[in-house]
Amino acid sequence: MLKVYGLFLVSGLAVGSLYALAGIGLVILRRSTGFLNFAYGALAAAAAMVAWQVADWGAWGPIAWLSALLTGVILSVAYGRIIAPSLAWREPAVKAVATLGYMLILLGVMGLLWDDELRKLSLPTDKMATTLLGVRVTVTRMIALGLSVAAVIAMILYLDRSRMGLNMRALADDRDHAALLGIPIVRVETIAWCISGALAGVTGLLFGSLVRLEPTVITFMVIPATAAAIVGRLNSLPMTLLGGLLIGVVEAMLTLYKPLAPLRAMTPFVIAGLVILWMQRGTNLTFATKD
Amino acid sequence: MKTTLLFAATLMAGAAFMAEPAKADGHAPVCGLNTGTAATGDPIKVGGINGNAPPGDFSGGTDGAAAYFDCVNANGGVNGRPIEYIVENDQWNPELAGQVATKLVKDENVVALVGNGSVVEMAVNAPLYASEDVMVMASGCAISECYESSHIVSTNQGPLPSGIGALKFAIEELGATNAACIGFNIPNNGGWACDWMNEYMESKGLQGTSILMDPTAVDLNSVYLQALAEGVDTILLMLPAGPAIGLLKVAEEQGGRDLFKWVSPTPLYEPGVGEILGEYWSENLYINIELNEFDSEGADNQNWAKVVEAYGQDGDRQDTFSQSGYISAKFFVDALLKLDPATIDRPTVTKAIQGIVGAESDLLCKPYYVGEADRHMPNHAGRMVVFKDGGFELVRDCYDIDTNYLDPIRAQEAALGLK
Repeated sequence: MLKVYGLFLVSGLAVGSLYALAGIGLVILRRSTGFLNFAYGALAAAAAMVAWQVADWGAWGPIAWLSALLTGVILSVAYGRIIAPSLAWREPAVKAVATLGYMLILLGVMGLLWDDELRKLSLPTDKMATTLLGVRVTVTRMIALGLSVAAVIAMILYLDRSRMGLNMRALADDRDHAALLGIPIVRVETIAWCISGALAGVTGLLFGSLVRLEPTVITFMVIPATAAAIVGRLNSLPMTLLGGLLIGVVEAMLTLYKPLAPLRAMTPFVIAGLVILWMQRGTNLTFATKD
Repeated sequence: MKTTLLFAATLMAGAAFMAEPAKADGHAPVCGLNTGTAATGDPIKVGGINGNAPPGDFSGGTDGAAAYFDCVNANGGVNGRPIEYIVENDQWNPELAGQVATKLVKDENVVALVGNGSVVEMAVNAPLYASEDVMVMASGCAISECYESSHIVSTNQGPLPSGIGALKFAIEELGATNAACIGFNIPNNGGWACDWMNEYMESKGLQGTSILMDPTAVDLNSVYLQALAEGVDTILLMLPAGPAIGLLKVAEEQGGRDLFKWVSPTPLYEPGVGEILGEYWSENLYINIELNEFDSEGADNQNWAKVVEAYGQDGDRQDTFSQSGYISAKFFVDALLKLDPATIDRPTVTKAIQGIVGAESDLLCKPYYVGEADRHMPNHAGRMVVFKDGGFELVRDCYDIDTNYLDPIRAQEAALGLK
């Protein structure tokens, strides 16, 4: 029985690392710009589809992967520079809802460009694997987990040690004061959109390879990613990482309990709901910047 | 230009040699009266509803029907009257599905609907069709309401007969004794079909279990592992092609090909699957097909290929639903040709459709019929193919299924004099 638990633990960690990676991208952006980007999954989906398209045109693999990264960055920065500034002073909820509109636009464009045909996005690392607790774990899955941990460490160091990180933290603490202090808000925010978009691109590439290359499925990956970010109170990167992994593992483990197995999809909502309830016991408002 | 066209062209030129639709042999298609003269009379309004939006494109049925109707209109129409085919897209939205059906049935006053393919609209609109006494000759059904309504009759089998057909083959040819039915956690789709799979296995003294997953489930690995934990020897992929391929990919990752017998209903029988699955699954994946093989030499299949080539639109799907839409439209036109063109209206058309009994086609294993009944499932016999060398090879020709679900259907067939 222990081996069975091990199987599902490893399986859950693999999926959870994708949730965590996406959640980290959300938190980084939220901390710097105040935007909870519900279009994050759509950015990832567009990145994955572009990578497939470029590969389908016969491009060399690394070019296709790079195109995913660039797609994430371009689409993210485009929103950050064109639409986001006009919402800069609006409430966090308004900002979040506006990104929903962007998500629908991207989803619609993807539906227009790519019909419902069968597609596959393969990475060379899909074929390399090792066995862990009885589960064959591909290198792609290990990359997903390693990347999410590395992203957390790198971003913590970046935010703590670099000048730009300091600026981002200042913006997150109080945008008005940061502006008065002469912090180049547009530049700082653009970099935040850029980093978040790059993470979306990588997540999309991994997701398209590991799960399914379907725009809708990748787009709605933003739900567990948001749940992971909420576990991190939309602020803490390590907690977001843990939240993503926890959601992945609980979702996988529920498979073993038959009455709840068909309802596993609710795991992110339940965990996020419980965390919100826990946070609401005080006076803090989850989606507000000020009390 | 849609990138899909490039993709489709690549696939067609590639390895899917056995899944490729039959090529037109140069002769013109045969449609309706086949006069070679365009119909110019008063148009007959016919509706069609498909679901074409993320997460799936169910437009093959209306594509196939539209091509056939265009061909009929260019060949004398229905005794001189052309068919005005109005197609709407429900976009997988129940509210929109209700609106477009109301528009077609009440505003446009169509005489019937043909080629419908959706996972949504039949559940929403079945009561409307019954109350308005308008028949729907559907082509792409996947939910229980489609087969358990008085005014909907589908040419495709849907997941239940096709899935049981696949299981029957697995039991008889592969030695399956304990099967897991992996389907979507949608009560009138995966839940419905998998429940009947389990009943079928039990009726044979064997074991069956349902593994239901959310349509947007991400952790397909856990779904696969659940099947492993259940100790089954057979996996029935009661899923659309996309998630089914995702699951097969996970199984490949885990080296699971030889741990189970792998069977599937029709969705995995699609041009392009070969390229996606690769050599790993060759001769290890068996698929039940609801209509005939895409490259079969039968007259109707050959004519379908010619019709879609000559009258289809760029980007039309050429899949099982397209075959199904074509043959639904053909049966519909054949029924209308027996009517006095001046008397064609909804009541006469409804009666004519309900009067279809014993219509034959090489696309189907058994005669098609409608009749007056509270449910319809004329197509429940299929064929079995194996995925092999990037294509498909027939391993069992027409065979019927034996399930208690068909008891009322068998009674109808007996009453109509069909065996």
